[in-house]
Amino acid sequence: MASPSSSQSLDLFYRFARNKGALMGLVIIFLVFGAAIAAPWLIDRDPLRIVYRPEIWPFTNARYPLGTDSLGRDILALILYGARTTLIISFAAAFTATVLGVIIGAFAAWFGGWVDEILTRLTELFQTIPNILLIMTVVAVLGQTIGNITFAIGVTMWPPIARLTRAEYLSLRDREFVLACRSMGMGNLRIMVTEILPNAIPPVIVLGSVIIGSSILFESSISFLGLGDPNVASWGALIGDGRTLIRRSWFICAIPGLAIMFTVLAMNLIGDGLNDALNPRLRDR
Amino acid sequence: MERLLDIEELRVTLFTRRGDLKAINGLSLQVDRGETLGLVGESGCGKSMTSLAIMGLLPVPPAKVVGGSIKLEGRDLLKLSERKMQAVRGREVGIIFQDPMSSLNPVYTVGFQLGEVIRRHFKVDKAEARKRSLALLERVRIPDAERRLDSFPHELSGGMNQRVVIAMAIACEPKLLIADEPTTALDVTIQAQIVELLKEIQADSGMGMIFITHDLGVIADVADRVTVMYAGKKVEEAGIDELFDSARHPYTRGLIGATPKPGDEKRHRLVEIPGVVPSLAALPQGCAFANRCPLAFDRCRAEAPPLKQMEDGRQAACFLAEEMEESYVAPVRA
Repeated sequence: MASPSSSQSLDLFYRFARNKGALMGLVIIFLVFGAAIAAPWLIDRDPLRIVYRPEIWPFTNARYPLGTDSLGRDILALILYGARTTLIISFAAAFTATVLGVIIGAFAAWFGGWVDEILTRLTELFQTIPNILLIMTVVAVLGQTIGNITFAIGVTMWPPIARLTRAEYLSLRDREFVLACRSMGMGNLRIMVTEILPNAIPPVIVLGSVIIGSSILFESSISFLGLGDPNVASWGALIGDGRTLIRRSWFICAIPGLAIMFTVLAMNLIGDGLNDALNPRLRDR
Repeated sequence: MERLLDIEELRVTLFTRRGDLKAINGLSLQVDRGETLGLVGESGCGKSMTSLAIMGLLPVPPAKVVGGSIKLEGRDLLKLSERKMQAVRGREVGIIFQDPMSSLNPVYTVGFQLGEVIRRHFKVDKAEARKRSLALLERVRIPDAERRLDSFPHELSGGMNQRVVIAMAIACEPKLLIADEPTTALDVTIQAQIVELLKEIQADSGMGMIFITHDLGVIADVADRVTVMYAGKKVEEAGIDELFDSARHPYTRGLIGATPKPGDEKRHRLVEIPGVVPSLAALPQGCAFANRCPLAFDRCRAEAPPLKQMEDGRQAACFLAEEMEESYVAPVRA
């Protein structure tokens, strides 16, 4: 891929930064990433270890600033390490979904005919299955590991990407430059990947960022339901563990809940900003 | 002169829900090395279909070649596999499309796209490809070529972009260049420059060229020989001077009558050809032009006139072709 001139990428960033919400989202995501990366340096022990009495309220004990949960585990450690799990799963799952969706959408639009028919029906079939059920089934069948959860979310979330990519490819397929590329002797795959993809990808990236947000929610949901990886800290699992104590020690649910809310919100704000920066139709609002 | 392209009895049909459209209906044409063949006709008469058929880029479905052959230096392009055809496209046959603004990929620089074509067909490294790209841009007279290599298509004007497109088409020194209405999307002064450029490049390289247009004024400037198409068929073919002096088909006469000429003494209304091209789905039994022809008589509606071979290698598909002499005046509607 040709590197766009630096003035172009600067331009892109200015358009993104003009959206204040998007900047805020970016700051939050940077903080979450920071927490995830710094976790082992900040707290050098297994976050799942029981460290103290259960149900210590936040801001009452200097050693455990966010208190402890129902089992006596350090909530701060769970949040920091949980950020790793959440980010790894959500980004990897969204990436899987995007790659799958782009491939399926691109092939459907480019080849048309029965290929399109089959792939579009497949997409619709996946859309009729409730996402959370499909994810739970896949995880239950394959086993509760980070890899399987990522895979399950990835294979569930691709249909919207496939539909968007298909629509983009359909509109680009008949453009004259594609005919020009073919007239210069380029093959199908070559044109699909190097000529059309860079033109089709901006809206897909926007949708991808929103899918990261939904992946965080799905990961939390299945951890909440107890189908998460039992060997790693997870925000959803923390809420699940704390839910029985919600009347007495509501902070156990509230803290990871806020973490999830802000991270998902940040991803959606970034999606908005990317949309402003990449979507030419909204450019000069 | 040596024969370069030989199309014989080409038939292309579009199989659509509304019926089978005979887009090209038994077309034969030849192009010699170093020669420019003008291909003229109204919209929808099969000009662009012909060029796409030569490139093997017909939209399949609905289009399908149902008969005939397209021989480039004796090799039938219709029989080549897609893979072999990819090696022909761009390397042996180049094509220039109508709208330069949409013929280039908006996300890549001009230099990148030129380099891509060169590297597609020649085994050269990036630096060499860039050097050749630069030479090509200079060849098509783009000022400040070095800097233009790093420009994106949207940063250039239509005329500049068409020069880039021409550079890409001639990058691999094709034997045949198809120019499919290369000047239609440009304004008049730029049109003239582009036509001059194409003529010059062709004279230098000795390649054959098919110049497709609906503008007879442009044809008069570039072509050695002209094929006039109507409803998927050749209706007349002649050398450029003979055609303008004494067209033998009423359709050609109509086209010439509908073209403004600078030498006209009196300002008179241009004479248009009445009516429209018949639907390709329901071509009449007789001559396809009969319903618009001022000279049509009963026989024209009953049987299609065959393409007659005439003096000086001319051809015309009209029962009255021999009788039409220079004295004939294009029909003027009251």
